[in-house]
Amino acid sequence: MKQLSIMVDLDRCIGCKTCIVACRNHYGLVDHEKSMPGTMSHYLRVESQCTGSYPNLKEDYWVVMCQHCKKPPCIKACEAGAIHKDVQTGIVLIDKNTCVGAKKCIEKCPYEVIQFDAARTYAHKCSLCYDRVIHGQEPVCVEVCLADALSFGEREILLMHADAAGKKVVKKMSTQSILYVKSPG
Amino acid sequence: MHENKWIPTVCYQCKAECAILARVEDGVVREVKGNPRARGKMCVKGMAGITTLYSQERLKKPLLRVGERGEGKFKEIGWDEAMGIMEKKLRELMKRGEGHKFTYSMFPHSTTDPKWRFVNAVGGFISTGLPHCDSAKIMAHLHTFGCFPNHHIAPMYYTVPRGGIMILSGRHPFGCLDDACVPKHILDAKERGAKLIVIDPIFRTEASKADWWIPIKPGGDAALFLGMASHMLKKGIHNKAFCDKWVREGDMEGLAAFLKDKTPEAMSTICEVPAKDIIKLAEMCAKAPSVSIDAFKSIMYGNAMDWGHAWSIFLVITGNLDNPGGQPLPEIAPMAPVKPAPPAPNLKELGYHRTGPNRDKFNHYNFILEPTWYAAQAVKEGNLKVFFASECNPALSEMGSGEWRKAMTMKDKKGDYLLELFVVTEILPSETMKWADLVLPDQTNFERWELLYMPWWYNFGHTAAVCQPVVKPIGESRHANRVMIELGKRMFPEFFAFKDDVEYYDIELSGVGMSMQKMLDGGALWSPGTVGFRKYEDAGKFNTGSGKIELEWRMYADIGQQWPSPELPLEFRRDADTYPFILVNFRTIFLNNTGAWSQNNAQLRDSVSGLDANPLLLNPIDAARLGIANGDTVTVESSTGKVRIPVLFTEKIKPGCAGLIHGFGQTMGKVASRGKWISDNELIADAGSHLDEQDLRGGEAHVSTRVRIVK
Ligand code: SF4
Ligand code: SF4
Ligand code: SF4
Repeated sequence: MKQLSIMVDLDRCIGCKTCIVACRNHYGLVDHEKSMPGTMSHYLRVESQCTGSYPNLKEDYWVVMCQHCKKPPCIKACEAGAIHKDVQTGIVLIDKNTCVGAKKCIEKCPYEVIQFDAARTYAHKCSLCYDRVIHGQEPVCVEVCLADALSFGEREILLMHADAAGKKVVKKMSTQSILYVKSPG
Repeated sequence: MHENKWIPTVCYQCKAECAILARVEDGVVREVKGNPRARGKMCVKGMAGITTLYSQERLKKPLLRVGERGEGKFKEIGWDEAMGIMEKKLRELMKRGEGHKFTYSMFPHSTTDPKWRFVNAVGGFISTGLPHCDSAKIMAHLHTFGCFPNHHIAPMYYTVPRGGIMILSGRHPFGCLDDACVPKHILDAKERGAKLIVIDPIFRTEASKADWWIPIKPGGDAALFLGMASHMLKKGIHNKAFCDKWVREGDMEGLAAFLKDKTPEAMSTICEVPAKDIIKLAEMCAKAPSVSIDAFKSIMYGNAMDWGHAWSIFLVITGNLDNPGGQPLPEIAPMAPVKPAPPAPNLKELGYHRTGPNRDKFNHYNFILEPTWYAAQAVKEGNLKVFFASECNPALSEMGSGEWRKAMTMKDKKGDYLLELFVVTEILPSETMKWADLVLPDQTNFERWELLYMPWWYNFGHTAAVCQPVVKPIGESRHANRVMIELGKRMFPEFFAFKDDVEYYDIELSGVGMSMQKMLDGGALWSPGTVGFRKYEDAGKFNTGSGKIELEWRMYADIGQQWPSPELPLEFRRDADTYPFILVNFRTIFLNNTGAWSQNNAQLRDSVSGLDANPLLLNPIDAARLGIANGDTVTVESSTGKVRIPVLFTEKIKPGCAGLIHGFGQTMGKVASRGKWISDNELIADAGSHLDEQDLRGGEAHVSTRVRIVK
């Protein structure tokens, strides 16, 4: 299987949101002059879960971006045929020019990661920085991650790295192409 | 000029001053990131700095007040008129022999910040929030082992060895403010086998990554560390060889006698950490190859000097000074002086900050800067007549902000304001601006020149970085440094004979064989790359009076403060029945404290990429007792203030504590004024009129209070 991926290390993510703003800046998702809170597109979001009760608590943080699904529901939903999964990289891409703004993909995406540009009527989302990675660069979020919680590469290789570092894949979070790992215990 | 490339410069979205790269395209900053040559990280605030730069709310022209102070009504004026107003008033003040009644509230970006030079030339003082942030830590380290008083002096986490212990006691370094690389360095140290211990009444990200979270009663840190020290001395597991060699004769015996009754059991009753845990941590520290301690919030309470003292003692008896993984004793880059320099006025004689009820007793304790929060009292007493402020927001950061607002608007019999002139430089609308007579549009780090060379925070080796303008300035904004240099040229040409800020930095850089041009040619960075360890061994002494480590503070003998008291700060000890909760007010990575430029930054106040809410955090156990439901709006009341805010239940806070983020509450600016969130300082007592015992034990700190919560 050819699949590029990002591996999110739950031992290291601190939920700082640096990746979100860096990604927004890179893709020009924010009108710095006029944007107000609550109105800006974003290709990643931070989630967290705290378990236990005081004082025995555990908390994990991680980021959710497009999972570049194995069988993407967004592709199936799009009647205009604007979405495809790239054969060479496994990256799921939306073609802005083909997109008719029907928002079907947004309804069907289980991870709620597709953004909509109302002014220009197209759907857009994380492309795993396709235009960077094909030139040998890392995705923006991986490059800037404050805690070095993210790594990029071919999914199989990332799995090997996780194993070598003694980290386990969090199975229920890693059902698609993005990997979530943490140390046991 | 800087088309389509990454330009090395410096971030200043907070005071950490991280070295960064900015990508400029068509004259617009598009992207920013950490500079890989200087630890390589930039945090979310820094990333969002572009939004500050281009915000439509940027102040673009000087503003002159037209209504009363507090109304926030202004008209635009030209720079000449603005300069004239400042010059006229300062000349008048100096003519009256009252130059010392001029104060500039700022955070100096270096020991030779040009603004500081201007203040010295007038004969006034600079004041900062720095005294509450860490004056006690600085003073404690200075008194005990003569460490150079730079800001924070955070441990160098990249030097922590395998098995080393990193203690964060009321400290949230994942919120950056030291350097954006710190979270990575802490996590890296953990991966190589160091242990992270978090002592904190609130469970935050640091605690979630910790090997051990120890919830503590706020203000109990001194007791906890004295309990550990007592146990170590009793068991003889302290670093005897280090103490024999370096501690002043007699001090170890004095310490042992003082610690005799500070047993883990006795200290446990104060700090609410079980005695067995105090013993366990002491024994872990005794065995570890290194121990680092950092504190921030915990050293802002009314027992800050005691806690700083206990902390210093603990570092000494475990031998953790200037060793890998321990407490660094950094040096500062030897920049060349720009001569002639105006002499600083005598702070002790002319300064205004000893205004509390215990003024005479408090005279013992001396810090190099005025704390901002005595300003209100100084205005009332006629000791402060002209006030400038840059990169600070006293209307929100002043403890007892109500008193501050009152002081700004107090008038004499003739109907003139007691404070004759109040000037604020700002990038975006700020709360403080509402009370200003003159508002000067300042520049962001993307538009200005600056030389940064303090070993601030995390830049340990001798290090310097150049902040250079990467785009044209917005509107008529001018950097505060340039404004003060120009005013200096008008008023004190002898002290401002250099051409401009760039030439000023050029002269300074000659001290390390550099120039601005050489710096820029070399990537805008300079550092010889070594910090050195155990420098006291080379010197054969510590920088104290005796050349040895001085555990006993003999200069405080007459006020009974030669050894640290384990007691909780007074503000938590008194009125526990009336005000059962202790306010835990903390900071986050998304806000530069009360800084207007992060409060009014759309990305930092967005719930996806920042933080847009500041409810009162309560443990469900307490909430159940009070009969409050999650989301209810409650009244939170202290002995001096009262606010209404919604409640959020969380298991992440110690019962008996109420959590609130520091820095909200601004009413100026479209972004900042969203939501009904409040400033913690509305609840905290004004320093001038309410400090008593804290004057002696706290240095100058007291940023919290007890509160009661009613539905
Ligand atoms: S996460 Fe959503 S947008 Fe991404 S491939 Fe899957 S369905 Fe499509
Ligand atoms: S920058 Fe890294 S640590 Fe911060 S939220 Fe993103 S993935 Fe997590
Ligand atoms: S820590 Fe401060 S200076 Fe460093 S990147 Fe963040 S905001 Fe900028």
